[in-house]
Amino acid sequence: MTTGTYQKFVKRWEEVTDLPPQTLGPLTPYYKALTRRLKVMPWPLLVIFSLLVVVGLYVLLGSAVTLIVSLLQRGF
Amino acid sequence: MGTSLVLWGIAFSRNFIGLLTRPYETSRRIVDHGKPGELIFVAIVLACYFALASLVRVASFRPFLLTREFIELVFATSTTYGLAVLLFWSAGQLVGAHGKQKGLAIMWGYTLIPTLVWFLATSLLYVILPPPRTTSTQGVVFSLLFLLFSGVLFFWKATLAYLTLRFGLRLSLTKILIVLAVSLPVLGAYSIGMYRIGIFRIPFL
Repeated sequence: MTTGTYQKFVKRWEEVTDLPPQTLGPLTPYYKALTRRLKVMPWPLLVIFSLLVVVGLYVLLGSAVTLIVSLLQRGF
Repeated sequence: MGTSLVLWGIAFSRNFIGLLTRPYETSRRIVDHGKPGELIFVAIVLACYFALASLVRVASFRPFLLTREFIELVFATSTTYGLAVLLFWSAGQLVGAHGKQKGLAIMWGYTLIPTLVWFLATSLLYVILPPPRTTSTQGVVFSLLFLLFSGVLFFWKATLAYLTLRFGLRLSLTKILIVLAVSLPVLGAYSIGMYRIGIFRIPFL
């Protein structure tokens, strides 16, 4: 490995290891499984989260969700 | 200056695509290597949106009113941005953050992209399909799709905000939650103030 490449590697290594990995005790494997999917191309997971919220709101409020949307549409 | 603008433009485009496809890695890169000049492009897009929003809100071609509306929006958004960065930074110092203020400020600037997309889409929809929504099948279906769209952007924004605090302040999840618990009530009170004076009904954070 050339000195330049090695120095780049060391610099990158220091950047990556500067922040200790996040742990959550017994929940760490679940946290890791979730964040792994959010790190690269998170859109499918974001759509699933959003879909769950929308379905929840519809089950809870029924057609009254239109009131929320009317309020949001005036929110800009 | 010209060369710098091109370089900042390329970096901005690269980071924008990165935040869509690889938010974690891109956020880390923005915080460590981002340049304040990249935010010029965020500012240009924001200015275009404010011009459009002024037209929609004033709903008539009166240059004085349009200019006043535009200046109000620019001033309110700049103040909100500055306040958010300052709050996160100060709250971070309380829990022992050791990040860089510059990196935090640049990354928070990038997190305005989902906000901008939502506000832009909502303004356009306000013109195309003005509220109120009815409880007919079409009204409910539109409402569900609008909520789905809003939810996706909200979760994208939340992810980017988390990554901003994680890399910008170098904090653990627990400390990020403390920073949010300190900052959000202040930002909430500020947003209520903005609502009362009629600038933003939904905070442009």
